[in-house]
Amino acid sequence: MDLALIPNGVQRCSLKAFVPWLLLWLLIVAWGLLSAFLVLFKGLNQTNMNHYFAFGLWIVFDLSVIALGAGAFFTGFLTYIIGKEELTAIINAAVVIGFICYSAAIAMLGIDIGQPLRGWFIFWHANVHSMLTEVSFCITVYLGVLTIEYLPLILSNRKLNEVREFNIFGSNLHHAVALFAAAGTFLSFFHQGSLGGMFGVLFARPFAFREGFSIWPWTFFLFILSSIAAGPSFTLLCVWIVQKVTGKELVKRSVFTMLAKISGWLLATYVILKIVDTISWVYGVVPRAGLSFMDFYEGTYGVWLIIAEIGIFGIIPAIILITPRLRERNGLLITGALMNITGIVLNRFVFTIQTLAVPVMPFDKFMSYFPTWQEWGIAIGSIGYGILVFSLSYRYLPLFPQEAELNPVTVLGKAVTDSGVVKRG
Amino acid sequence: MEFSRRNFIKFAVGGLGGTLLSPLPWKLMDDIAIWTQNWSWVPVPAKGKFSTISSVCTLCSGACGIQVRKVGNRAVMIEGSNEYPVNQGGICPLGMAGLQILYNEGIRWKAPVKRVGPRGSKRWKEISWAEAIGELATRIKGLRDTGSPEKLAAIDGNQSRSTMALLVKRLLDAVGSPNYMVMPREEDTFAMATFLMQGGKGPTAFDLENSDFIVSFGCGLFDGWGAPGRMLSAWGEWARSRNKTSIIQIDPRASNTASKADQWLAPFPGTEAALALGIAHVIIKERLYNREFIQNHTLGFTDWFDAQGIKHKGFSRIVLEKYSPQNVAGITGIGRSIITEVARKFASAKAPIALAGRGKGSLPGSLYESMAVHALNALTGRVNRKGGVLIPDDLPLASWSDVEYDPVAMAGLTKERVDRAGTPRYPFTGSLIQKFTEAINSGHDSPIDTLLLCSANPAHTIPDSQNFIDAMAKIPFIVSFSPFMDETSMMADLILPDHTHLEKMVDIVWPTGIQYPLYALSQPVVPPLYRTKHSGDVIISLAKGIGGAVAGSFQWAHFEEALKARVRGLYDSGKGRITHNESEPVWKGLATGGSVSSPYSSFKTMWEDIKEHGCWYIPFHSFGNWSDVFHTQSKKFEFFSTKIEMALKAYSKEKSLDDAISQLGIGSRGDEVYMPHYEEIRSSANEKEYPLLLHPVELINLASGWIGNPPFLNKTLFDHQLRKDDLFVELNPRTASRYGLKEGSKAIVSSPKGELRVRVHLFDGAMPDVIFIPVGLGHTAYDKYLKGKGVNPHEIIDPVEDPLSGQPVWWNTRVKVARI
Amino acid sequence: MKKEDSTQGTRYGMVIDLDTCTGCGVCSVACASENNVSVLYDESDKTRNITWMQIYMVTNGKGFPKTEVGYIPRPCMQCDNPPCVPVCPPTATRRDPNTGIVSQIYTRCIGCRYCMAACPYHARSFNWFDPSFPEGMDRYLSPEVSPRMRGVVEKCSFCHHRLMRAKAKAYADGRRDLKEDEYIPACVEACPTKAITFGDLNNPKHTVYALIKSPDAFRLLERLDTEPKVYYRSTKDWVRRMADNYLAGEFKGRG
Ligand SMILES: Nc1nc2c(c(=O)[nH]1)N[C@H]1C(S)=C(S)[C@@H](COP(=O)(O)OP(=O)(O)OC[C@H]3O[C@@H](n4cnc5c(=O)[nH]c(N)nc54)[C@H](O)[C@@H]3O)O[C@H]1N2
Ligand SMILES: Nc1nc2c(c(=O)[nH]1)N[C@H]1C(S)=C(S)[C@@H](COP(=O)(O)OP(=O)(O)OC[C@H]3O[C@@H](n4cnc5c(=O)[nH]c(N)nc54)[C@H](O)[C@@H]3O)O[C@H]1N2
Ligand code: SF4
Ligand code: SF4
Ligand code: SF4
Ligand code: SF4
Ligand code: SF4
Ligand SMILES: [Mo]
Repeated sequence: MDLALIPNGVQRCSLKAFVPWLLLWLLIVAWGLLSAFLVLFKGLNQTNMNHYFAFGLWIVFDLSVIALGAGAFFTGFLTYIIGKEELTAIINAAVVIGFICYSAAIAMLGIDIGQPLRGWFIFWHANVHSMLTEVSFCITVYLGVLTIEYLPLILSNRKLNEVREFNIFGSNLHHAVALFAAAGTFLSFFHQGSLGGMFGVLFARPFAFREGFSIWPWTFFLFILSSIAAGPSFTLLCVWIVQKVTGKELVKRSVFTMLAKISGWLLATYVILKIVDTISWVYGVVPRAGLSFMDFYEGTYGVWLIIAEIGIFGIIPAIILITPRLRERNGLLITGALMNITGIVLNRFVFTIQTLAVPVMPFDKFMSYFPTWQEWGIAIGSIGYGILVFSLSYRYLPLFPQEAELNPVTVLGKAVTDSGVVKRG
Repeated sequence: MEFSRRNFIKFAVGGLGGTLLSPLPWKLMDDIAIWTQNWSWVPVPAKGKFSTISSVCTLCSGACGIQVRKVGNRAVMIEGSNEYPVNQGGICPLGMAGLQILYNEGIRWKAPVKRVGPRGSKRWKEISWAEAIGELATRIKGLRDTGSPEKLAAIDGNQSRSTMALLVKRLLDAVGSPNYMVMPREEDTFAMATFLMQGGKGPTAFDLENSDFIVSFGCGLFDGWGAPGRMLSAWGEWARSRNKTSIIQIDPRASNTASKADQWLAPFPGTEAALALGIAHVIIKERLYNREFIQNHTLGFTDWFDAQGIKHKGFSRIVLEKYSPQNVAGITGIGRSIITEVARKFASAKAPIALAGRGKGSLPGSLYESMAVHALNALTGRVNRKGGVLIPDDLPLASWSDVEYDPVAMAGLTKERVDRAGTPRYPFTGSLIQKFTEAINSGHDSPIDTLLLCSANPAHTIPDSQNFIDAMAKIPFIVSFSPFMDETSMMADLILPDHTHLEKMVDIVWPTGIQYPLYALSQPVVPPLYRTKHSGDVIISLAKGIGGAVAGSFQWAHFEEALKARVRGLYDSGKGRITHNESEPVWKGLATGGSVSSPYSSFKTMWEDIKEHGCWYIPFHSFGNWSDVFHTQSKKFEFFSTKIEMALKAYSKEKSLDDAISQLGIGSRGDEVYMPHYEEIRSSANEKEYPLLLHPVELINLASGWIGNPPFLNKTLFDHQLRKDDLFVELNPRTASRYGLKEGSKAIVSSPKGELRVRVHLFDGAMPDVIFIPVGLGHTAYDKYLKGKGVNPHEIIDPVEDPLSGQPVWWNTRVKVARI
Repeated sequence: MKKEDSTQGTRYGMVIDLDTCTGCGVCSVACASENNVSVLYDESDKTRNITWMQIYMVTNGKGFPKTEVGYIPRPCMQCDNPPCVPVCPPTATRRDPNTGIVSQIYTRCIGCRYCMAACPYHARSFNWFDPSFPEGMDRYLSPEVSPRMRGVVEKCSFCHHRLMRAKAKAYADGRRDLKEDEYIPACVEACPTKAITFGDLNNPKHTVYALIKSPDAFRLLERLDTEPKVYYRSTKDWVRRMADNYLAGEFKGRG
């Protein structure tokens, strides 16, 4: 039925199989929408956030998806600015993943603030000193950039492309892609950094506070580095999952290898700097605040967190990904990418939650936090949203340029496609 | 134009672009933001003219001067008045939250109501005041017509000297019932002790501000004891002053007072009398006592012979024999050297004072203990001396004309009180609610037909409250004057709601413990919010409704007239002062003494001034001759109370003296019976089964009397005191670990009377083997901000009778604890 | 962040004497009453309820019977170097250079709570719920302070409206400067033990000026550089020790 919309030269599953798949994710999105409705109408009391945990699951999620969405700008940067031609094989997918991540993050931020209808005050009454202002500006503008990058892809849908204006508009946009990639890179570097800066500037929260360079605390740079280390891994992982789900090879193995290598080296650099940062924090910020390392770890939020974050999910994936012999093995490649991502998510979690859990006043208590179903709903709902958007994009848009080449289309497929031509009136 | 898909898309894209460029979305966005700033469900306080009105807080008998800020007709803020002599600007948190009592619609009765469903069904019908008063008048008239006026009883929580209390008492007198009961307080116990040792029934006054050394045997000096506004102000003064008053706090728990004190001693609960006598021992042994006072103005210090020539052991001999620091250390757990050191410090201070009591003092104390503590004041000659325990002249309030007793009343008044207070069995006690409930619960029919409840919520606030609730179930007709939907009024048949403290004029006659005579008068801060009526007016109308001699005893048109009739006496005395300058605290001038003549030339002008300033007082004390101040048989301070001796003689007419003594609950024998001594008060519960003690604790930020805790005070409770609906008990970590209890553990505390579900807070400052539990929560009535929060310790208190006084001992219930 | 010059102009601050404070809670109740602070059904949830003046209970950590308790009342510290101000995206909170008071504009606040993450004193509260007052209690609300809506952050304002009131009066009298006792916050005025002193920390004629120079004076978490204008005073080492974090052997008691 929807064959007319399916890109030329590729094969997709039947609508009968596709619709239930969509429904499954729609159900999860519905959970998210119900949660969002409750939160917007009843207020943030629907969450388990409180005066101590001013930020909760959603901010962890936001920071994580934004870091993982970095695959988009970074792949763009590598493809168009550095000129890594091989990466054009996944640039479309990276853009869609980036778009999903950023749109979900902004939506979630909108729900997370107590007065969403005043959200625009950030722009109108902007306080330029606030890292959050910087983040808001950058991610909003960057979502625009991603939209513009996504648009030509949408317009290249077989049916839409038949509209002449769209065709022209799309191909013109396409020419400007390098420009947008440059803008995206700039914006992204800044907001990835500002997200790190958000925590690093909290000078009265010794767990998060970092010295830095000029107005930027070290976390600014560490967040940039960790996001570009994780982004490609995430793109890799997503594409690999799509391959597994569709049972098709969509990009060449060499593309994966390249992403893994880039990710690996960046991660290795990041891990080294993160260790340096941690040591200088332990000997700088911490004793100056009159505290010692172990004061920051208690109960659920024990030392295991830092061991897991830097040791298990930092050093190990870095080694896997930078070692050609290891990353050549598919199993290890995926494990490495997954561990890399896990480490970065842990990092975002620790900065958000543990910063707030650790008591600063000597007579204060360690607190702990667990999200409500509404919070989970919105977080998991946005994953559902992502899968929906990606599934639709994959089905109807020419996401993978190498797909046709790697999967020669059957006769039957062609015939069906041809019969789907709609006559113009 | 042809309608094609292409055109449609063009149109849509163009339209979208056009709209975005138009001002519409931006205007909408702005309007929506403005809407969030003006949500209709966020209250908007009405504007109005600002004004200030002064009055007196009468939520407790501390009588603090207050200034209430008003906007139009609404009161918006209460502050302590700097120009008021009692509190000098300070008030307690309860007084500060007073507006939450006035304006809390959810806890107030808004009109007289009659019960229509079965008791406890909470089905009520609003009726008119005429109907309400008429119904009660008819009932009381009926009792009188059948010759049983004594079947009317009243439980009164008004301050015992106040005009309201006098009015309630007068109603019962005129009707002919002896069954007028007051809610017992520590103050009464101490007054009983001073009555037995010094004679005279005036209020007891403590000149604390002029004292340089205070030993408090359990009084929560800064936890709500006495007149709390005064005490907090006094503490501020002490804390700042260079020549700081030293305080020794005796307390089983590291209370706020204990922590502020210079020294904290923690004897086993109930052994305070032994500690006092141990201190006395050292003072006597080291001859540190005031010899002049002891020799000339006391009876029974050394061995003596009475008129019959019988030799009696002196107080000093008994103390020397029985209360050596070594013995006392064994009883109290306080080290010998500490006892000696405290005794020496006490005796060598310039103006030491010893205080008896527990917590806020809103529950009765122990008589012999009060006597033992007061003996220390006598040993050092601190009676009626600057910075000591003063024996003041009462306020010169005018007396009302005598009650008209008709034959029915006279017959009724000869009947024995249901609670047997004042009978030879309980010779010195004014009222005994515990005995009252016992009498009702033990008989088949209730000896009381109609019970009036004024300013009291005994169903919640008296020890072993369930007993009282059972008794209420048997009383045919219960009338509550409470403005609040409290536990007691919820079980009533007729509610005649009073105004709240900010809507009415009432007086407090001599706030608890202050060292100079003061008459405090509140004025309405706002007009009554609901169809409530001043209980004073209700009683006057009621008396008129009953008619006859009863009406004849209440000839005033309304309450204010009755009150003014008393206040006239203040004018007639020609003395007194009304205004106060905060830079000249009254206690500073006390030393100079002298007389203050009133500047008023007419009662009318004076009355207006009293209303405006809220008080009348005499800012000095005449430290008269010791020979004039004691009203005992011997005209001396009696270590050996001849009053006890006479009472025992009367009681033992038909039985042996020993039987009489043991029936009075006294464990000792011989001369000690008549003297301050330590009585071990043992609960009957099995110590093996119930190895721990339950000690209720009163907190200054938790209302524990008849006033329900306002929500603002809930804000100030820590989450280790109340979490959700769970009340925490404090337990020493060592004791807790013995029962496998950790911070926050849920547990059941049970006594032979029942059990309470609580959580545990580990507190180093709690005496091992004692469970400390805050009093004031566990309401089953009021609104959702109070009801069901925490538990009420009174439910499981298993009281023993205090020897001689017969009051319930509420601080040493034996309990056990088990983890849930 | 660049620190504001804190030696010039008026800098309102307070000194709370912890040796005097009995933890009675009057300041807290006075503040709630004065500033229309809303009331939750469950006020025991200290992570959600609103209290501008929070009282903390501390103990000396010694066992029975050497235990001592103390209290630390905590309004907003009105930091001279407030970590909460620079982080606020829509500039809803600001340090007034003329008074040193850190303001909070409820109608500007978007409820992002970044300021709460920044403040180590937990001086800021978020309105998780619509403001609620038990039935009938809206009748005591003061028109001087607007009740806050759900979804915004609120905190102690040093009773800003009292400053406005005092200034209005002074201006009407043709004066530009306020006398020491003309502007006093509700909690300070209400404290029955007079444990709190308020005034201009930069004005040598004000009592607080001398008080903060005493060796008994200290601030909470001083080493974090927030420069609070709320000072405390205590002669007890164990209390002073509670005010900040110290490495082993770092804390020098005063004996
Ligand atoms: N003397 C003196 N006067 C001043 C100033 C000063 O510094 N000194 N400052 C000036 C300045 S800067 C300002 S902004 C103004 C502020 O002056 P106002 O706007 O008059 O004062 P606010 O206290 O902000 O609140 C106004 C009223 O709005 C009510 N309100 C709160 N929420 C809502 C709602 O949702 N809907 C509705 N309808 N009402 C609501 C509040 O209860 C309050 O009664 O005062 C100005 N006037
Ligand atoms: N709790 C609470 N907090 C609030 C508010 C509230 O209603 N309640 N309201 C909020 C609102 S709406 C506002 S606008 C802010 C107001 O907050 P601020 O803007 O801080 O208001 P003011 O204290 O009036 O500060 C103005 C300062 O300017 C100085 N000044 C006066 N005239 C001049 C001049 O000609 N030149 C210069 N350079 N200085 C001058 C004054 O001395 C004063 O110190 O407070 C906010 N904070
Ligand atoms: S101490 Fe008593 S009189 Fe004074 S404010 Fe408190 S409740 Fe009212
Ligand atoms: S009112 Fe004064 S004494 Fe009471 S808690 Fe507050 S600061 Fe302490
Ligand atoms: S105490 Fe907290 S809220 Fe107040 S100024 Fe300092 S950082 Fe900001
Ligand atoms: S919660 Fe409000 S005041 Fe705090 S940072 Fe966000 S916008 Fe600013
Ligand atoms: S200064 Fe005002 S707003 Fe701040 S705590 Fe005190 S009373 Fe509350
Ligand atoms: Mo304003």
